[in-house]
Amino acid sequence: MGGTDALLAARLAAGDDHALAEVFDRFGAAVYGAAAYVVGTGAGAQDVVQDVFVELWCHPDRYDPDSGSLRGYLMLLARHRAVDAMRSELRRIARQERHYRLSSDERPPSPGEQVLSAHLASEVRAAIQRLPAAQRQVIELAYFEGMTCREVASAVGIPEGTVKSRLRLAHAKLEAVLDRQLLEAP
Amino acid sequence: MTAAEHAVPPDLRARVLAASRRARAAGEPVPAVPAISPAEAYRRAADALYRALSALDTAAWSRPAIRDLDVQGLVGHLTGVEDDVQRCMASDPAVSQAGHVESTQAAAVRQAGRDPALTLAEWQDAVSRTLTLVAARGQDGLDTGVALHGMQLPLRALLVVRAFELWVHENDIRQAAGLPLAVPDPSVLSLMTALAARLLPGAAVRAGMPGPARLHLVLTGPGGGTWDLEWDPEWDPETASAGRPYPAEASIVADAAGFCRLVADRMTPAELDSYISGDRDHAAGVLTAAATLALD
Repeated sequence: MGGTDALLAARLAAGDDHALAEVFDRFGAAVYGAAAYVVGTGAGAQDVVQDVFVELWCHPDRYDPDSGSLRGYLMLLARHRAVDAMRSELRRIARQERHYRLSSDERPPSPGEQVLSAHLASEVRAAIQRLPAAQRQVIELAYFEGMTCREVASAVGIPEGTVKSRLRLAHAKLEAVLDRQLLEAP
Repeated sequence: MTAAEHAVPPDLRARVLAASRRARAAGEPVPAVPAISPAEAYRRAADALYRALSALDTAAWSRPAIRDLDVQGLVGHLTGVEDDVQRCMASDPAVSQAGHVESTQAAAVRQAGRDPALTLAEWQDAVSRTLTLVAARGQDGLDTGVALHGMQLPLRALLVVRAFELWVHENDIRQAAGLPLAVPDPSVLSLMTALAARLLPGAAVRAGMPGPARLHLVLTGPGGGTWDLEWDPEWDPETASAGRPYPAEASIVADAAGFCRLVADRMTPAELDSYISGDRDHAAGVLTAAATLALD
């Protein structure tokens, strides 16, 4: 039969759950490592790993053995999912921040919520403050002001590609902050 | 483990596999092929054979096909089978135990010297009569048991067997005429692989593999799927003894169309491109038994 990756892909498409277990045994640690590199070794990384393997199992035809290795495909998927998870978390925190800033007349948060949100916010703010100025600026504009990459590029006067690379670098540094407690916060 | 790898949390594997199975049941192929009725599978297989026969030049009709039959004789054999199918649907006991080849040989040899167009028209008429009878039965009628050429099975299964035979003989004819082999459309092949998988344990038992045994069968490509087959399911590990050995277990992965050619006895286990794990002797025995399902 075809090469190992092509055979695994064909088996997955045929509904062979043994093949899925084999793929996990072979590449699970690498996928977990790729996820943990971005979001830290916590529940977030485990969620990313689950997303990656569910995606592979439900859509095995999206992997083309002629285009590269299965390991490479899974690692790419893991990095994308992990970055998505981090962006989503940052947006959530930013929304929460804006909400508390703009709605001071609404029901005040409970003492528990206050403690938790204050803790989370201070953790994130502290981490952002530790970023180099150039990275901090793009993070604040993108996530706290809600600007797109193009708008940030225009506001700062730098190419859009530079905005994206600074965001990537900033994400990598912030990953230490997004630990399990943060990701599981309401 | 490389530097980029981390120790995987102990329960993550089980969690990932469970979540995956919830999202898509094991055994379910993707992309899913459109489901069709057994009657439609039979009709499509007959249409495909008709198209192949219509494209033959006159000389091809007299080329050797199978056994002692040329292409024209083989089409005559198929006309004979249609006649027997119609008799079995009328509960004629004479065809229930009749031999598949012997019972149709007269229709086959009768074609010698005839105009191939007449042979083709006669077969086409026979197929139309079968389709008319099947349509008259309605959906519920497909579950009626019928007996033909030593087989006792529901009409719906017989129609898939017939689709199987038409495809196999289409390829016999293509081979005789020097044409490339055909693969059934995925919806037809899906019914054929499911039937072959269902009949496999019985074939294994008849071939001297009484079990207990388990087989994880994976047929790849459009029309394939995955089956966990078990025979002697009464086997109980609590009461296992020397006389009741632990079940032989194997996994066979093969191309769906290739496996169907094996089941049709048009390919040997050695010729089948397969990937085997587990008990290799058990797997080899099953593949040999699979070829005994052929009617010819």
